[in-house]
This record gives sequence, C-alpha cells and structure tokens, in this order.
Amino acid sequence: MLPISPQIGSQMVDLGSALLLLTCFAIIAQRRLSACVDMFALQSVFLAATAVMVAFLTGIHHIYIAAALTVIIKAVVIPRILKQVVERLNVKRELEMNVNIPAGLLICGGLVMLAFFITQPIIPLGFLLTRDSLAIALAIILIGFFTMIARKKAVTQVIGFLVMENGLFLGATAAAYGMPLIVELGVFFDVLVGALIIGIYTHRLQDAFDSVDTTKFTTLKE
Amino acid sequence: MEWPLLVLVIAPIVAALGSLLARRRRVVEVLQCGLAGALLASAALVAERVMAAGVVSAGGFLQADALSAWLDLLLGVVGSTGTLYAVGYMGEKMDRAHLSLRRYYQFFCLFDLYLAAMLLAVNLENIATMWIAIEGSTLSGALLIGFDRSKAALEAGWKYIILSSVGIALALFGTILVYYSSEHVLGVSSEALRWSELYRVAKELDPAAIKLAFIFALIGYGTKAGIAPMHTWLPDAHAEAPTPVSAMLSANMLSLAVYAILRFKAVTDITVGPEFSGNLIIGLALLSLAISSAFFLVQRDYKRLFAYSSIEHIGIVLLGFGIGGLGVFAGAWHLMNHALAKSTAFYGAGLVFLRHNHKLLERVPGLLTQMPFAGTAILVAGIALAGLPPFGLFSSEVLIAVGAYTAKPDVAYAFLALLAFAFATLLYQILRMTLGTAEEAGVSLGRPCRIFTGVAMGINLVILGAIGLQVPPGLAPLLAAIVKIFGAETEMP
Repeated sequence: MLPISPQIGSQMVDLGSALLLLTCFAIIAQRRLSACVDMFALQSVFLAATAVMVAFLTGIHHIYIAAALTVIIKAVVIPRILKQVVERLNVKRELEMNVNIPAGLLICGGLVMLAFFITQPIIPLGFLLTRDSLAIALAIILIGFFTMIARKKAVTQVIGFLVMENGLFLGATAAAYGMPLIVELGVFFDVLVGALIIGIYTHRLQDAFDSVDTTKFTTLKE
Repeated sequence: MEWPLLVLVIAPIVAALGSLLARRRRVVEVLQCGLAGALLASAALVAERVMAAGVVSAGGFLQADALSAWLDLLLGVVGSTGTLYAVGYMGEKMDRAHLSLRRYYQFFCLFDLYLAAMLLAVNLENIATMWIAIEGSTLSGALLIGFDRSKAALEAGWKYIILSSVGIALALFGTILVYYSSEHVLGVSSEALRWSELYRVAKELDPAAIKLAFIFALIGYGTKAGIAPMHTWLPDAHAEAPTPVSAMLSANMLSLAVYAILRFKAVTDITVGPEFSGNLIIGLALLSLAISSAFFLVQRDYKRLFAYSSIEHIGIVLLGFGIGGLGVFAGAWHLMNHALAKSTAFYGAGLVFLRHNHKLLERVPGLLTQMPFAGTAILVAGIALAGLPPFGLFSSEVLIAVGAYTAKPDVAYAFLALLAFAFATLLYQILRMTLGTAEEAGVSLGRPCRIFTGVAMGINLVILGAIGLQVPPGLAPLLAAIVKIFGAETEMP
C-alpha cells in the first residue's frame, strides 16, 4: 500500500531524477574545478534523496542502506578526496576543454534525446513509479562518458566516471528497485576503491609529468 | 562440498595476505611456489569433477559449469606458470637492486589478488557479483600496470583504468538491464541474477531489453577484452606492465572478458536467436583482426608486437563463437591455446628485456643463439601464434574458417585474407628476432631467475605441444558441454 497516490509518487521520483540530470549540465557548464566537485556532491545528494523516495514509496528497506552509503561515500568521502587532489595539484584555474561550453551543452542535450530514443522500447516494461527514470539514468551515463572525453584534466575525467556511476545507481534503482543488497555493497566498495586508485594515480602522474593535463601524456604514441 | 573449487579461489587470497605479511623473501618464494602447485592441481580437479557431475558448487556462492571449468583450467594453468615466472622475474629485478623488498612483497600481494579476482569471477554464478569480481581484477590490474612508476607505465596505467572503468560501467548497465527484464519473470530476488535461472527462463525475457543489454555488455566487456575499436589501452598496458603482468593481462584477463561476453551471448541467443549477437560479434572480430594485423608490420617494440597479436587472437576466438556450431568448439579451443602460447611468448620477451633492458625489436636479433631457452620459447610460441601446425591454434583457425565457410562464405574470405596477412607479418617479425647473430651482449641473468622462468616456460610449452593437433580425450567432454551451452549441435571433430 502506497502512503500517497502513485501518480504523485511517480512525479516526485521524476523530479528527483530531473534534478540529477540538471546537475550533470551544471558540471558541463562549470569552469572551476572545485565547483565541479561540489556539483558532483550535490548530485549525489539528489541521488540519495531520489533513492529514499523510492524506498519510502515501495517499502523496500535495503534501498535506504544504499542511499545512506551514497551520501557517505559519494557526497562526503569522495568529494573530500577530490578536493585534496585539486588543492595539492593546484589545478583550480580555468578548465581546459576539447569542446567549448555551449557546444558541450548542445551535445549533452542531444545525448539526452538519444537516451530517451534508445530506452523507448523497453520503458513500458518498468514499474509505474520509476519507469521514466531509466531514460534519465542512461542520459546521465552518456553525459558522464562525454565529460570524460571532453575535459582534458585527469581530475575531471574522474568526475565524469563518478557521474557515470551515479547514473548507473539511478538506473538500478529505477529499473529494478535496486539490486540485491550484497550487489549494491559490492558496487559501492568497487567505486570507492576505484576512486582511491584513480586518486593515487593522479598524484603519481603529477609527480612524473608535473601536470595532470592528459594531452601532455604523450610518452606512448603509435 | 567441492573443495577444489574453494581452494582455487581461496589459495591466491591466502598467498596474497601471506606475501603482504612476509618478512623474508624466502617465505614469499615458498608461498608462491605453493600457490602455483595448488592452482594447477585444483584447476585440474575442478575440470575433472565438472566432467563427471556436470555442475559443481561450493561454499554457497561458487558454482562451475563446463564453461567455468574451461576458464578455471585456463586461468589455473597459466596463473600457475605465471606465478613461477613472476618469482624468477621479480627476484632478478631485486638481485639487481631495481626493486626494494617492500615493493617485492607488494607486487606479489597485488599479483595474487589479481589472480584471485579473475578466478572468482569465472566461478560466480551471479551475473552481478561476477561484475564486481571483474571490476576487482580491473582495479588490481591498474596498480600492477603502473607498478614500475615510470612515466610510460603511469600513462599506460591511466589509459587502462579510465577506458576500463568506462567499459565496466557500460557493462554494469547491461547487467542492470538483464535484471530489469528478468525480475518480471523471476521476481525481485537474487534468483533473477543467476545464470542458470536466466538460461531457464530466457525465452520469456523481453527481447528489446535483452538486445540492449547485450550491446552494452559487448561494448563494456569488449573494452576489457581489447576488441577494436576499444583496444587502444591494450598495446600500451601490455608493453609497459612488468612482464609477468603482461602475460597475465594477455592470457588471463582478455580470456576472462571474453568469458563474460559469452555468458551474455548465451542468454541473448536463447531469447532472440543467435543471428543478432553473432552478427555484432563477427563485425567487431573482423575489425580487430584487420587493425591488429596492419599494426604487426610497423611495430618496433617486441612486447607491443605480442600485444597486437593478442587483439588478433581474441578477434579469432570471438569470430568462432559468433559463427556458432563448429566455431564454438574452435573458439573455446583457440582461447586455451592462445593463452598458453601468448604467455610463453611474453615469458620469453621478459627475459630478453631483463638481458637487454630495452624493447626494441631490431636491436635483438639472434636470440636463438644468444639466449637459447628464451629464444626457443619465443620462436615456438611465435610459430604457434602465427597459426602453423603442429599447434592447436592451427587446427582451431582451420575449423573456424570451415565453420565460417558453411555459414557465411563472405566472412570466411575476409577471415582467410586477414589471417594470411597476419601470419606473414607476425612470422617475419618473430624470425627477425630469433634468427641472425646477436649484436648486443647485455647483462646475463642470475641462476634462480633462469630456473624459475625456465620451469614456467617449460610447463607451458609441454602442454602446448601435447594438446597440439588433437583434443586430449580427457578434455573432450568438457568441450562438448560448452558447445551445448551455446545450443549448437555438432559432432566433435
């Protein structure tokens, strides 16, 4: 039994997903690196809020645990690690991009349409509550992917990867009301370790190349 | 309770912890030798049990069917020789003071964890926990590739971790999509993530969702398998990683990624028929063959040469599975033989690197006379990799060509043309290295290093030769069971 009507619940989940998508655009539009990290933290908070909403409306308790982990790991721990990296590397200056901001935003708009187009045939399969979020989840994954390509700094590539992960989490919550708990825990563990390893790598790259601009990584050329 | 299966997964973890806590080099050496033996024995026992019982499970979360057992055998044998080789290789580096004792312990801890993650991945019956284990292998692999901390190694490691992370994220989306469609049939529970359950209900799954899931899994795990056009991380990583790691990347990790793709393919084939996944796989496989064979000729680095050869052979394996029927058998056979031959080639290449301290192909002619054992290993493995008899890669390539010819003649023509080109270019490069007279003296290797690496190469070469032209009767039931998983009804050759 839902505590509120399914339509309103569904719209609330849609709102949460839309806010997630909005923060993606904010990350693309952002020039300062530390602001990008903040935006990512904000996105993780929205993600957790959406997950809590789904958990509340469906009564599936383990989603609460996943939401709590999202807040702890993705809104607090990882942003803190990234901020440290940013400070140490002194790369607060303007971001360098392969694609300028207006073009980047346009491409992201296109990616959102693409995501809706791809998922259209399988949307009717989903639960009423969350069915629209699957397309948004794919859109976020694609935008994260695009961020990794469009930005030159190693740290922004990491943010792109983490945005992809957020999209995946939303996808799992939307498509399947969350994966079984053991799976969620494993995925969180992997993301955390992955972020740590990438953090270690950026430090070592900085030491070796005196830069985290990936266009300067040209030792290996075909 | 099937203890060999448990030993197979737990032994590397124990060895990893032991190496981390060790305070003496001798302890690590003994641990690693023990690990090599345990892997070899338990892999063989698992394969035997699976052939007798069909499916074996252990500990409530491990389960091996024929395909898992085939990979267990592959990872077990190559992992075992790889461990022995690593003891020799890293030991030599330490004797030359290129490596501190602390880093030596760290290396083996990571190396064993890497093996453990891969062995775990192939024996997990749950599609999502398999993903977690594969991600584990990606992460430990990333630290191993950058282990030397040189500029080139760090750059290669960075490229690897970024590309693989993207790939693995896409694969997770594919996994979620499978769950999305299966939970409608099986209900919201972890049952909906089990391979055996998925196979059972595959006909009732939503075709559109499964097609989409397969595409994501193919691109995602394909990145990790080094299929073109997602292969760009592969040559760098293989060239810059410490050589024992290069061998494990090429022989084990690529095979693991192929395994993951095959699991998805098996479900997709039941749901929407083999045409859909087959065509996608054949397209990417031919592209991989074309790109890799074109790059053979311009390689100046012998480790990169073998790396491109890996892209070629993974392409051939996938082509076999894509064609189906006879090709499934040949693909599985090719996977095993490639792992053995390619790891041997890398073992040889690593010794050449230790001696000359550079990877330039044109500066190391005459390896046969200068380094008889490494030279022979490179020559024999190179002949096998080029696809000449009397090695298994020759027979599987012939079978794939025959399979392709009966199913899709155009594919067969393209395959044979690319294969001929790859054969000529690879063999040319291999002969350039092995024949002739040596120009540079280099540093000779210490005795312990020669013994450990010699044993590793010896085991690989003996197995490679023994299973050369004929499938041993002991392995035939396993291959037959694999062919059955993919729904193909063919007589075993």
